[in-house]
Amino acid sequence: MIARIILGLWLTAVIFGAFFFAPPAEKLGELSRIIYFHVPVAWCAVMAFFWSMIQSALHLKDRKPERDIAAESAAAIGLTFCILATVSGMIFAKATWGAYWNWDPRETSVFILLLIYLAYFALRMAVDDDERRARLSAVYSILAFMSVPFLVFIIPRVYFSLHPSPMTPQNGKLGIDHRMLIVLLSSLAGFTGLFIWIQNLTVRLGVLTRRSEEENA
Amino acid sequence: MKPIYQVLLVNLFIWGGIFYYLLRLESKIRRLEKP
Repeated sequence: MIARIILGLWLTAVIFGAFFFAPPAEKLGELSRIIYFHVPVAWCAVMAFFWSMIQSALHLKDRKPERDIAAESAAAIGLTFCILATVSGMIFAKATWGAYWNWDPRETSVFILLLIYLAYFALRMAVDDDERRARLSAVYSILAFMSVPFLVFIIPRVYFSLHPSPMTPQNGKLGIDHRMLIVLLSSLAGFTGLFIWIQNLTVRLGVLTRRSEEENA
Repeated sequence: MKPIYQVLLVNLFIWGGIFYYLLRLESKIRRLEKP
């Protein structure tokens, strides 16, 4: 319970920090404050997809149903965070470039990622047998995550993109104000904690649901 | 009220709502998990 209270206070501090402590970015102005939400949710989406892959690999190894529940939960959370990252990116795109969607390499690659993970759930819904569904979706989850590094990190950097460029150290310095960096890293930590909590709740709920289905069967 | 305070209040309201929902969900799950 204390951890949840600390998380709540941490995220409240991040919200205040994002509005009052961090300065607006040089070229983007006040719009830049969206990065304190957009970047952490995108990061959490990648983490969630990674966790889904790990749980899927473990399920293929030991065939425990809890692993399948964890993999499905993580994929669902990842998909939700990915949609939130896309929507927040679209809001930024509209305000900055006048259009919600530009088929930019970054936007296109995240759209493909959304389709890949939507297909994961379509696959799960198409198979009735529990064990077969778990095995097939585990294999799919592992293969799906193979695409994540390309779609999220590589392709948007290979082609010219409207998306703001990432911070890369130049002459030993990061091209970002230290106050912005503090708030951004704090937000990343807060959202990571939020992901861990939500994942824990969905797994426990999934286990209870499955147990009740088995008792009623 | 200045726009920045309005956006801040909306943020706090939304996140407060999310936290409240998650805490309630957790307490329900704990009750169901008890033997």
